[in-house]
Amino acid sequence: MLNYILKRLGMGVLTVWFIATATFAAMHLVPGNPLANEKATNAVIRANLERQYGLDQPVLTQYVIYMGNMLKGDFGIAFSEENRSVNDIIRETFPVSATLGLLSLLFATAGGVMWGALTAIYRNRWPDYLIMFLVILGISVPSFVFAGLSQFAILHLNKWTGVSLLPVAGWGSFRAMLVPALVLGLSTMAYLTRLMRSTMLDVANTDYIRTAHAKGLSTTRIFLHHQLRNAILPVITVLGPSIAIITTGGFVVESVFAIPGLGRYFVQSVAQLDYTVIMGTTVFFGAFLVLMVIAVDILYGFIDPRIRVEASR
Amino acid sequence: MSSEIILEVTNLAVEFATYGGSVQAVRDVSFNLHKGTTLAIVGESGCGKSVTVQTLLGLIPMPPGRITAGSARLRGAELLGLSADRLNHYRGKRIGMIFQDAMSAMNPTMTIGDQIAETLIVHMGMSAAAARQEVITLLTQVQIPEPERRLRQYPFEFSGGMLQRAMIALSIACQPEVLIADEPTTALDVTIQAQILQLLESLQQSRGLSIILITHDLGVVARMAHEVAVMYAGQIVEQGSVDDIFYRSAHPYTVGLKAAMPGRSAHKSVLQEIPGSPPDLFAPPAGCGFNARCPHVMQLCTSQAPPLFGTSHQARCWLQHAAAPAQALYQQLIASVRS
Repeated sequence: MLNYILKRLGMGVLTVWFIATATFAAMHLVPGNPLANEKATNAVIRANLERQYGLDQPVLTQYVIYMGNMLKGDFGIAFSEENRSVNDIIRETFPVSATLGLLSLLFATAGGVMWGALTAIYRNRWPDYLIMFLVILGISVPSFVFAGLSQFAILHLNKWTGVSLLPVAGWGSFRAMLVPALVLGLSTMAYLTRLMRSTMLDVANTDYIRTAHAKGLSTTRIFLHHQLRNAILPVITVLGPSIAIITTGGFVVESVFAIPGLGRYFVQSVAQLDYTVIMGTTVFFGAFLVLMVIAVDILYGFIDPRIRVEASR
Repeated sequence: MSSEIILEVTNLAVEFATYGGSVQAVRDVSFNLHKGTTLAIVGESGCGKSVTVQTLLGLIPMPPGRITAGSARLRGAELLGLSADRLNHYRGKRIGMIFQDAMSAMNPTMTIGDQIAETLIVHMGMSAAAARQEVITLLTQVQIPEPERRLRQYPFEFSGGMLQRAMIALSIACQPEVLIADEPTTALDVTIQAQILQLLESLQQSRGLSIILITHDLGVVARMAHEVAVMYAGQIVEQGSVDDIFYRSAHPYTVGLKAAMPGRSAHKSVLQEIPGSPPDLFAPPAGCGFNARCPHVMQLCTSQAPPLFGTSHQARCWLQHAAAPAQALYQQLIASVRS
């Protein structure tokens, strides 16, 4: 098992290096640089600035310097903000994004597993039809629509009850996190519901469920002890990529709800061609993702004994 | 057979609703299972033998399945039509069941020990520790070596034969009176088959088990069964003691089955078959279900379904009628096949 984990981590480092290199290359292929649209500068000042940031060096040299700094854990200074290192930006804003992401992931998996199981139990009856209709809605409607609609709903709810039940936007209290997390997790929840439904139905038709019935176990016990654990395996597999979608896709929800997360920088930096922030956020998100996928794989091994053995071979 | 009747099935009929219409999978099946004996139900794939026994425990999916007639009584208590809750007092506790492919019939994400212990905890109210001890005893009884280590393993760590032993341990855990074995040896190779059959025999003797054995292997029948029911197209076509079936076959289908068995003699190099295929159960033919394939078909057979003739040895064939013109000839034929 340890061997397996080490191997996966080694592959992960390689992946992150590849992400960093590809981003670096793509970034430098785009015409212009972060200083190109500074209005008040003349050619001399610009040359001086470029020298200070090292932008006058050949691209390959810049790459070597950047990678060297990155290995030391230094992502450099942001171009777009005064005296702020990329490390500071990540340190300050990532916990916010992570909290939001984690909460929405919790919503998504709990909801997905529950609704999926429910639709399987009520297969081809009205609860199934209703939930599956909502699932299609959840998958096809983009999150900014839900974000706007939910703000609208909160507004009217607060007006109607006369007290401020939930804040419309902002960050800080748990109450403020609730709705954004729900909105962010909605499409993943819908996707997981569909997946859970189909795996539940698959499992219900297996021989070992028939054996469980032949053993005289109650339906509830069969559902909890036999069906759920086997049906949940594929759901866990897609959890890794789901974490990706949720954490990186958070910027829309973050900007609608005015949440000071990392997503904003992730998007803004590309528009401003802010080299260091692009690199910092991309590599950081990339590394985070890779780590999550590995974590899910290891978790998978704990739930499915067959994988544990294959991994240790 | 003088011993008491444990399980009595009468006039059972099961049909399945499908898009193409309803399939009459089991039609008018009756049999008795006597204490401490083995009843073999023989027949080719799709003849309704598995559906018959799974119906007894409510294991067929309903809908599309539907029991249209009949009763099944375990020591006089009706099983059919019971709610799942009531049925759970019988399932696993008074009637154990073994399935064909143990690898798919065991939960892949649960240890063997937990799967066996589960029935003990649910039915016998045992504590987890007591159940574990009992599992060790059971695994020893079915001759699985190193039970303490084996019970912590998962199904994929077992071989097919070992897993079938574990399945047997599971099915007899709560001391059931009846054991239903649905093709228990089909997925195993011949050597392991023999071991499993031997195990079932010794369990039958030590525990007085009554076994319903479903198989399409006449060799297994000859070795294990006391009584035999031959099924064809959802009906029992012949029923009797194992000697009746093998030495005094009364139905042309049974005769055909026996002839199709590969013999030991070297010069019988071409396997004999029964020409044709089983009838369409969406629309069972008028008269006898076997008429299209029967070498002795008469005009009556295509219009009127034969009843079961006989008392202890029964056959659903018009040739058994006292007025059947070909009966004498037929008896001669059987004699020639036998020799």
